[in-house]
Amino acid sequence: MKKVLSALLILCLVFTLAACSSSTGSKDTATTDGSLDSVIKAGVLRVGVKEDVPNFGLRNTATGEIEGFEIDIVKLLAKEILGDENAYELTPVTAKTRGPLLDNGEVDLIIATFTITDERKLTYNFSTPYYEDAVGLLVKKDAGFKGLADMNGKVIGVAQSATSKEAVNKVATEKGITVSFSEYATYPEIKAALDSGRVDAFCVDGSILGGYVDDSTMILPDRFSPQQYGVTSKLDSLALTEAVDGYINEWLKDGTIEGLITKWGLNY
Amino acid sequence: MLDVFMNVFTPSNVEFLAKGMVLTLTLSVSVVIISIIFGTILALLRTYEKRVFGKLAGFYIEMFRNTPLLLWILVCCFMIPYGTIVIRGGLALTLYTSAVIAEIVRGGLNSVAEGQFEAAKSQGFTLIQTLILIVLPQCFKSIIPSLLSQVITTVKDTSFLQVVAIPEYTRSGFVVMGRYTTTPEVFMIFALLAIGYFVICFSLSCVVRGYQKRSEIAR
Amino acid sequence: MKSSNPFALWRWEKMFGEWQMFGEGFLRTIEVAALALILALVLGIIFGVISTSNNKVMRGIARVYVEFFQNTPLVIQVFFMYNGLAIAGLRLSVFMIGVLGVGIYHGAYVSEVVKTGITSISVGQVEAAKSQGFTYIQYMRYIILPQTIKIILPPLTNQAVNLIKNTSVLAMISGFDLMYMADSWASSSLDYGPSYVFAGFLYFMLCFPLATWARKYEERLKRQDTARIPFEPSEEAVTC
Repeated sequence: MKKVLSALLILCLVFTLAACSSSTGSKDTATTDGSLDSVIKAGVLRVGVKEDVPNFGLRNTATGEIEGFEIDIVKLLAKEILGDENAYELTPVTAKTRGPLLDNGEVDLIIATFTITDERKLTYNFSTPYYEDAVGLLVKKDAGFKGLADMNGKVIGVAQSATSKEAVNKVATEKGITVSFSEYATYPEIKAALDSGRVDAFCVDGSILGGYVDDSTMILPDRFSPQQYGVTSKLDSLALTEAVDGYINEWLKDGTIEGLITKWGLNY
Repeated sequence: MLDVFMNVFTPSNVEFLAKGMVLTLTLSVSVVIISIIFGTILALLRTYEKRVFGKLAGFYIEMFRNTPLLLWILVCCFMIPYGTIVIRGGLALTLYTSAVIAEIVRGGLNSVAEGQFEAAKSQGFTLIQTLILIVLPQCFKSIIPSLLSQVITTVKDTSFLQVVAIPEYTRSGFVVMGRYTTTPEVFMIFALLAIGYFVICFSLSCVVRGYQKRSEIAR
Repeated sequence: MKSSNPFALWRWEKMFGEWQMFGEGFLRTIEVAALALILALVLGIIFGVISTSNNKVMRGIARVYVEFFQNTPLVIQVFFMYNGLAIAGLRLSVFMIGVLGVGIYHGAYVSEVVKTGITSISVGQVEAAKSQGFTYIQYMRYIILPQTIKIILPPLTNQAVNLIKNTSVLAMISGFDLMYMADSWASSSLDYGPSYVFAGFLYFMLCFPLATWARKYEERLKRQDTARIPFEPSEEAVTC
């Protein structure tokens, strides 16, 4: 009985914690918070990137380095903010771990095929989008699916914390079909589930699917819910966000981003 | 059969899996060592300090023993602001294992005869001296089989860390498995994973059994 | 309502708005745990008795079962059933995998507990029974096992608590149990704090009463002084 009471006491403490600090996060004005300065002082820009998405962020198993379009953006940012395009540190992330790693301060920015949504804007800051992709479906060739319309009643595998689930749900409702979902922690698990028939489709941004296509699978032609990727920063790192946003806008205007997209073959 | 074997066990795959096993073992050993230290402190507090700290220790132990390890891994990895993901995963495992080891140590402490404290006091030992020089050595001698069993469990528990993409043995196995889609290849990888853990855990359990047999003969 | 505080009040409100999801997960956890526990007990008793038999082959079979399932991680066993068997053509439902995976795994531990319990009943009783003409099955059923059950109840309860906690492995294979629901909600809404605290609280409510009952029962047994308890408290405390 005493232990139950103390459990309840702890619960009350947690609630008090919640109530006390529900105020909004912004205190200083944008240019006076220390987020940009702390990066400059540290001398290194720490960024979370994907390491399993071809052309965006993929670990080259021969050299051990991560390479891709998003890594090039990291290099450009490092050059602008710190004057040295090699002054960066990459941390591999997954859809699930990228947000928390940003909140924890382990990385300064996330450039990891992170889709901008209104709900996410409540928790993170996003730059102007640097790329637009759309959600696609990876299916087994011999399943005979030709499009989402064929998948009434099927199971779709998605990654936890990715936007794919909502995207597919919306389109499915429009087409008048119902699908169910299975969520997994990382992409290799979804691919394994597809191989073993646990799910009928692997659903995630088309660019990411590119890394998982093999002889027995194919990507369906459907593309839905255009997803815009943004450089993500912590909610209260306003100075850093502004700086990054400025650079991204500049590069969008002067064609640098376009050039990189062509370089990595990402213009579908 | 042999070509499947050669296909799956390429040098780069084997190296990748080996790295995973190294991390598994490193994590297990570090977690157990820190958990024994922290767990002993908790057990001592809970057994001999009946006011504030004892109750706090009790609360800590009950909280971690009645909730799943997976929950703490998720909490630590997603909500703690410091350290790499490996450190946070290790922290979750340590916090959890400390509670378990605290109970093991407490069992050992209770088995040390009451009379030892009185005897020590009569000889002029302070409480700390009694604990360190007399009670704890006897306690640990009696709980060695249980501690070793817990080491086995901890080695297996590191496999839970795969859910946050910590590159230990199980995760490495799954990443490798992602590139193979035929039954024999997948089975072979599972077999390798199972064998890897089995070899370590079974050897440890043989040690436990050997130790128990020896201590029974001694009795 | 922007806030980077993971325990903000509005996050709690949002989570409790989804209480049905958590309720379904909680129910699923209880169902899987109950069935897995029954399976573990059945397997545990069978293999526990087999491991005390005079037949060397039977003992060997029991030993293989126990050693294999005690020395490989539950995670790998479950993933094997989920993906491995499925690729080979055998696709069990996630619920089945939960019950079978957790049940068979803990069955190995329960059988060790049963074995210790059986061997602790004095040999004299077996001899006396044999001299009265009881067969093996008869003296097991009427004399040994009833006494065994009483003294193995505390460590069995410990196993039950571990079993309930281990059902959380279902979260990794999209099993729709409590942990999966909590994790799914936490990742999609980014409301980590309330989600995990609530899930932890629910698991605690399942496990703690069991654990406390076991402790009280063990103390009562000790006071009754009729049964010699073969389990060291330190042995019982080991999780699996």
